[in-house]
Amino acid sequence: MIKIEQLSKIYGQGDDQVVALEPLDQQINAGEFVSIIGPSGCGKSTLLRLIASLEDPTSGSVTLETANLKRPVGFVFQDAVLLPWKTVAENIRFPLDTTGVSRKQANEKVAELVELVGLKGFEKSLPKQLSGGMRQRAAIARALADDPPILLMDEPFSAVDLLTRETLNDELSRIWQKTGKTILLVTHSVEEAAYLGSRVMVMSPRPGRLKATYDVDLAQPRGEQTKRDPKFLDLVSELRTLMREMTS
Amino acid sequence: MFLKAIIGLVGITALWGAAVPIFDVPHYLLPGPIDVAERLIFLFQRGDLAWHIYVTLSEVFGGFVLGAVVGIAAALAFARFPLIERVLTPLILLLQTIPKIAIAPLLLLWLGLGAAPKVALVAVVTFFPVMTAMLSGIRYMNKSYADLSHVLRLSPWQRFWHIELPAAIPTLFAGATVATTLAMTAAVIGELMGANKGMGFVLATGQENADTATVMGMVILLSFVGWALFAILDFARRRVEDRFL
Repeated sequence: MIKIEQLSKIYGQGDDQVVALEPLDQQINAGEFVSIIGPSGCGKSTLLRLIASLEDPTSGSVTLETANLKRPVGFVFQDAVLLPWKTVAENIRFPLDTTGVSRKQANEKVAELVELVGLKGFEKSLPKQLSGGMRQRAAIARALADDPPILLMDEPFSAVDLLTRETLNDELSRIWQKTGKTILLVTHSVEEAAYLGSRVMVMSPRPGRLKATYDVDLAQPRGEQTKRDPKFLDLVSELRTLMREMTS
Repeated sequence: MFLKAIIGLVGITALWGAAVPIFDVPHYLLPGPIDVAERLIFLFQRGDLAWHIYVTLSEVFGGFVLGAVVGIAAALAFARFPLIERVLTPLILLLQTIPKIAIAPLLLLWLGLGAAPKVALVAVVTFFPVMTAMLSGIRYMNKSYADLSHVLRLSPWQRFWHIELPAAIPTLFAGATVATTLAMTAAVIGELMGANKGMGFVLATGQENADTATVMGMVILLSFVGWALFAILDFARRRVEDRFL
């Protein structure tokens, strides 16, 4: 469970103040998949970084059920952030190497994840030898390596080509169903948000604030049939209208 | 490139060899290249020159490792605790402005005539370039690595070993290249001022005996050893840098 109370963030001081996030309250239950969408500058990334305690809030608080764990959250960054001197396999294994998991166990996990994200044959490659999409897949595998109960994803698929993106979406949906992780996904794509989320948070810019939340009442598991479901199409068009209003 | 360098060296040596008889330069001022070479061979055969080279190189190596370890540790301390940096930086800059030759007699007084003062002097000159290189490596590190360290809750040691040190490798090599040249000079200065072994000692003995051939031979030998150290480091840099950039 993630409990967000009166959480806000202001950058700068005096006249240079920018309100990145107006006070926001939200409770996210364990096992939910929450998609967060909104135009640039709506504070969606800031919200995610505040939950991960990568930023200090100006006011309010985030309470994580997992706070007593060594690693309360897993995080997938927008631009992969692989370590260039480590191979793909070493990058994926990094969270395990730094928690004292045995090499043998870690290697088994890595082999499994490499298969999952479709990077088989590239284990020994360096990140710079991969395309942007492949790097992002390696970063997702790394975030999954130590099986975090809460997974925060900051536009993880923006650098991935469309076809891979759909495959990864399905994979993510499957992982979520199988593991019951709590997942927060920041995205630009309304389709992605509706397709994956059990709830969609819509945020609006200047100042960043929560505009609306939608419970997504679509059957699980989701798949190609979901994309033809009238309820899905209605939700997508409603979200799109909302987004268009905000940007005009 | 290599071939041209060799042609250049041979050319200059030939000019030098020709100039001595043509201008009738006295032997005690400028011996010819053959005399110098013969003297070096003699020193190798009779005078334990190889051992003296070994002594100097081990002083350079020991001092270099010491200076680099302390330099890296200091950079880490500065990066983690800005207060330490604010307090110590003026002091370190002041120390940097002291000519290293001026510290040498002091170190000899404190540490005796053995290897210790030379190692210390090499460490002093190595410290600064390595420390600044490591510090800028950490400072200009990709900001996202700090986020990754935070999310993975890395311990300070893990952060250093897996992220900060490898991220600083390219700048560290630049610093180390500067440091090797300084290190070689520092070791020889230490030996010139007071020693009973090492290349600087052989050089000083040559000077005392007005033995120009020995002095010139040692100067040439020193430049070759310095060049070899530089080349080894440059080779290592090219081998690893590709991966760390």
